[in-house]
Amino acid sequence: MMLVAICVSSSFADENKSTANLYKASKVYTMDGEPLSPGQVLVVDGKIKAVAESIDLGGVEANSIDLGENSVLMPGLVDAYSQTPLSSTGMDEITSEVTLDFQAIHSIDWDKNAFRRQLHAGTTTVNASPGTQNVLGGTAAVVKTMDHGESILVEDGALVAAMCNDPVSRNSSRSRPDSIYIRQPTNRMGVVWILRNTFNKAKRSTDQNAYTKLKESVASQRPLMMVSRMSYDIVTVGALADEFGFKPILVGGEEAYKVKEELVERKYPLVLKYDNPGTTRGAEGSELCWNNPGILAEAGLTFAIAGDNLLEKARFARRFGLDADVALASITSTPANIIGVSDRVGKIAAGYDADLIALSGEPLELTTSIRWVMVNGKTTEANNQKEN
Amino acid sequence: MFKKTYFLTAVAVVAFVTTSNLQAQKPLAFQGAKIITMAGDTIENGTVVFRDGKISDVGADIKVPVEARVIDASDKVIMPGFVEAHTSSGMSQANETNPVVPYVSVIDSIDPMNSYFRSARRNGVTTVRVAPGNSTLIGGQAAVIKTGGEFIDDMVLKSDAGVKISLRPVSGSRMGHLAKLRKALDEAKRKLDKKKKAEKKAEKKKEEEAKKKEEKKGEADKKEGAAKKKRTRKNRVVKKKEADEKEDKEKDGDKKEVDKDEEEKKDKDKKDDKKEEEGKDKKESESKKSDKKDDDKKPEEVESELDKAMFAILSGELPVMIYCDKAMDVGQAMRLIKQYNFKASLVLGKECYKAAEQIADANLPVMIDPQLVFFEEDPRTKEETKIVLPKVFRDHEVKFAFQVGRGGGTTLGNTYFWYQAATAVKYGMPVEEALEALTTLPAKFLGVDEFVGSIEEGKDADIIVLSGEPLRVDTWVEMTVVNGEIVYEKDKDEQLKLLLQGETE
Repeated sequence: MMLVAICVSSSFADENKSTANLYKASKVYTMDGEPLSPGQVLVVDGKIKAVAESIDLGGVEANSIDLGENSVLMPGLVDAYSQTPLSSTGMDEITSEVTLDFQAIHSIDWDKNAFRRQLHAGTTTVNASPGTQNVLGGTAAVVKTMDHGESILVEDGALVAAMCNDPVSRNSSRSRPDSIYIRQPTNRMGVVWILRNTFNKAKRSTDQNAYTKLKESVASQRPLMMVSRMSYDIVTVGALADEFGFKPILVGGEEAYKVKEELVERKYPLVLKYDNPGTTRGAEGSELCWNNPGILAEAGLTFAIAGDNLLEKARFARRFGLDADVALASITSTPANIIGVSDRVGKIAAGYDADLIALSGEPLELTTSIRWVMVNGKTTEANNQKEN
Repeated sequence: MFKKTYFLTAVAVVAFVTTSNLQAQKPLAFQGAKIITMAGDTIENGTVVFRDGKISDVGADIKVPVEARVIDASDKVIMPGFVEAHTSSGMSQANETNPVVPYVSVIDSIDPMNSYFRSARRNGVTTVRVAPGNSTLIGGQAAVIKTGGEFIDDMVLKSDAGVKISLRPVSGSRMGHLAKLRKALDEAKRKLDKKKKAEKKAEKKKEEEAKKKEEKKGEADKKEGAAKKKRTRKNRVVKKKEADEKEDKEKDGDKKEVDKDEEEKKDKDKKDDKKEEEGKDKKESESKKSDKKDDDKKPEEVESELDKAMFAILSGELPVMIYCDKAMDVGQAMRLIKQYNFKASLVLGKECYKAAEQIADANLPVMIDPQLVFFEEDPRTKEETKIVLPKVFRDHEVKFAFQVGRGGGTTLGNTYFWYQAATAVKYGMPVEEALEALTTLPAKFLGVDEFVGSIEEGKDADIIVLSGEPLRVDTWVEMTVVNGEIVYEKDKDEQLKLLLQGETE
């Protein structure tokens, strides 16, 4: 059964290269201006050729696909920070707390079930990042969720640093001086010290081949993502940034609402891990505010929402107070901007990758389901997830 | 939020009232709302009036009593309060460690101050069956209660709402678990049969005795005196023996005479019972009964609490909720139901969807697992299948009620009762059916549909006022009314404000 399906999909793929598909929906959220109602999207060779309320094909042959009543098209979702694509042993290095030259791209498990789930939940582009148990763990890669690495957007991207308790929690050396874990810091001061020490070394280093990636990040040539959840850690990130002159992307931000004034002043972009809304405590025991996104939006901050099941997270952010427009942008165009791929994904516009999701209704309604997901012009229909 | 109009004198809103205060309660009316009654048509621009904790009138064009407090609910949607068919939240400890405890009751364990009830009111749940957890072989008795109230006595709607039987062994094998269950049930069955036989015998004897009574009054007294002596002697012997043996002895031959006496006493008590009402009063008389017996110093005559509960289960007076953890448990549940004539409902674990056909055939009330959507991996190929519980059960035409998860889970938000219904709609359930699964259907499952589940004249005044259409992402419960009392107002929900704003002003 599966074999047949795969054959079909590959033969379709060949056809896709030579044919144009015109998708007609009752509403299209382009994330590039007001939504179109009704709307049409013309997809040719894995790219979006045109988007309008009505497209004049001008003699070009195209398959017309009418998605029917209440159908909605929106851009494929962009996850700005995720460890889901990484193999379970591929996230954290334990022999050293600073592994600047490690790359997440080499650790991506393209067949991982959780990774496939991301695709079926509507995520088409993901910033696969190293874990946070190292203080400076390496660089992230921006990839698509469906094509097994055929179209990598950024191979060696943002440098990921942990300004949180995670490296400490990894230390299990106890009192054994010969343990490999002894390298890890045992308290939060240690985390800051290692960060400061590494930044200092990079600053002083005259060797062109040493600390290259960190130097690039400080010079704003490479994004620097710093994972911080607690309000005091976010403040520490600010202090380090002042000291060494870098501009970080804040990841996590569970308690960002507590220090919103400071963040507004610094204008750091945020990638919110909006996990388990509806509970009162988050990672590291952070005090959750259900309307964290809404409060930050009101303060004028720019943020993406990250994690698996993005659409559901945006729905909850909406429920708890975030504007619907901002909620949709926070899982499409804004993350694309933050991770530097806004010229290819995050919008439905001519020249963009044909990454779309087709929905049964309004994207933010809890009762709306995803009909199919398209990555580079290929839909999940033929390659469907087994259901029931 | 609401324009509050007061007629006559202004009366402060009392959050909770005891039943005795209900009589003095002022009528309450909501005007101008879209009323989804769940009993026929939806009323646009409707009015609903509550009096003495009941719905006294509902319709588009009805008279509001002059003395009523009227709340303007235009642009709002009014629905019956939600009915949650099964939860083990809201109690201090859901699972009893002893394996066979059908006589304990959640009523002794429910904590009205538990945060569960606060969340329930906030999420529009007005009636809930609180049941013992799923880790006790024969757990205690569940109760259907209202979510508004400070004392459990004011909250109870139905106190004998079923005993939990769990087919999941906490430790040890499933064979041993089921053997233990059967042993307990068989033992009780034997006792019950014996009791019934004795009852018949006693009835006959009584008839005979009635005839001979006047003539042989003196002789009968002598007999009873002899029986008493015999019993006390036996008692002393029994005390020396081990507890287990004592139980066996009671079951065996020497009980015969005791039974006779017991039946006589029973008949006497039965007459008393008839005079009194059922329910709580019965309990009282039962306790009186045991007091009497204690005075008589005949401990082995006392029908133990365990026996009473087991007899009630076996005679179908007390329904059972069978918790099936795995699909294989469903088959076992069916066997047990057939063998012991249970009046049963099924509380299903995730994996039970595999027995959907069997469940459909059984045609019993069903409560499905809170995790409505999950993934299963083929152990060899690692290929994943997405399981959508509401879809599977709907495909098999099984009527089911939802449960909510504790604390969270992989399906984001399954701790919200209405979120479960929204998820079912997402996977194909019509909205109307989803709303029924939140109101009328669970009310029917629990046998309280004459009181709750829909907005009809004479039913309990349990309603929720919504800011918009139900199941929509930005619709909130703005007010919850239980027994005609406003028990929740979003405007005054300081905790919610804190959770949403991070700080209160």
